[in-house]
Amino acid sequence: MSTAMNFSSKSFTPRPPDKGAFPLDHFGECSAFKERFMECLRQSGYESAACRQSAMAYLECRMDRQLMANEPLEKLGFKDLINEKSEEKPEKS
Amino acid sequence: MALCGRGWARCARGLRLGALSRPGPCGTRGVRGSNPFTRQQEEEWRRRNRSAVGYIAAAAVGMVGLSYAAVPLYRLYCQATGLGGTTAAGGGAERIERMEPVRDRLIRVTFNADTHASIQWNFKPQQSEIYVVPGETALAFYKAKNPTDKPIIGISTYNVVPFEAGQYFNKIQCFCFEEQRLNPQEEVDMPVFFYIDPEFAEDPKMAKVDLITLSYTFFEAKEGQKLPLPGYQ
Repeated sequence: MSTAMNFSSKSFTPRPPDKGAFPLDHFGECSAFKERFMECLRQSGYESAACRQSAMAYLECRMDRQLMANEPLEKLGFKDLINEKSEEKPEKS
Repeated sequence: MALCGRGWARCARGLRLGALSRPGPCGTRGVRGSNPFTRQQEEEWRRRNRSAVGYIAAAAVGMVGLSYAAVPLYRLYCQATGLGGTTAAGGGAERIERMEPVRDRLIRVTFNADTHASIQWNFKPQQSEIYVVPGETALAFYKAKNPTDKPIIGISTYNVVPFEAGQYFNKIQCFCFEEQRLNPQEEVDMPVFFYIDPEFAEDPKMAKVDLITLSYTFFEAKEGQKLPLPGYQ
């Protein structure tokens, strides 16, 4: 970390996360989802856009097990994936 | 006696002359001119001088006051314009919901994990890098293991390099700045859920930046220690 002693240099100020800290998953309840996500990442060459479904599944797992505050997934940036899901459902039925 | 007499006459003459250099109505300083016109002018100048001194004194007091007011004013300005890395108050969930990914800027985010010398955790990232675009949320994992037989409480902070990109790097949720307790021989996954602000793509200073490094460092927290959150309280 840089000392902020020089006037003109830009130093880094850490900011707290928007929604606070994740509680620790002591019992490994969502490890399966995490493994699926990591596998997807490895297969897609570590591209985040390809694995957003798995990321959404992991966050849903956390929310179900009270390891994360319940929040509609649109607010977490998964709006397009939700719309896809809701479009698929009426098509299937 | 004769001298006295002559001196007396000189005295008398001097008295008559002295009438002109007698202290005037404006104090001990003699008025230079004897006619009323120049006296009026001098009084005018003196009055103008006094009002000028008054203005200058007021300006000096104003400057001192401004230097005291500058601190909260600058803070307000920073929050309004987002300079220096401060986020706009109330950004949050609506921004995330509305933001659109900027597909033509692919950014490589590498992960780094450090521990302070005194903490005995094994802490490492589970992926060395990830490719993201601004405006899209991304998930990444770190892993921490406590190989000792005592529970250890850790607390972490983070750093983003390059510094100027740090203001666009927003973490929605992570594991930093709060105490995390690991029981003996326990291993946990620590996720980081973040996004890069879409305004990153519009900043000319960030045009050449395509590598951002996120670095976490864990320290050991003592029992009952309360660390303040960074930022203005």
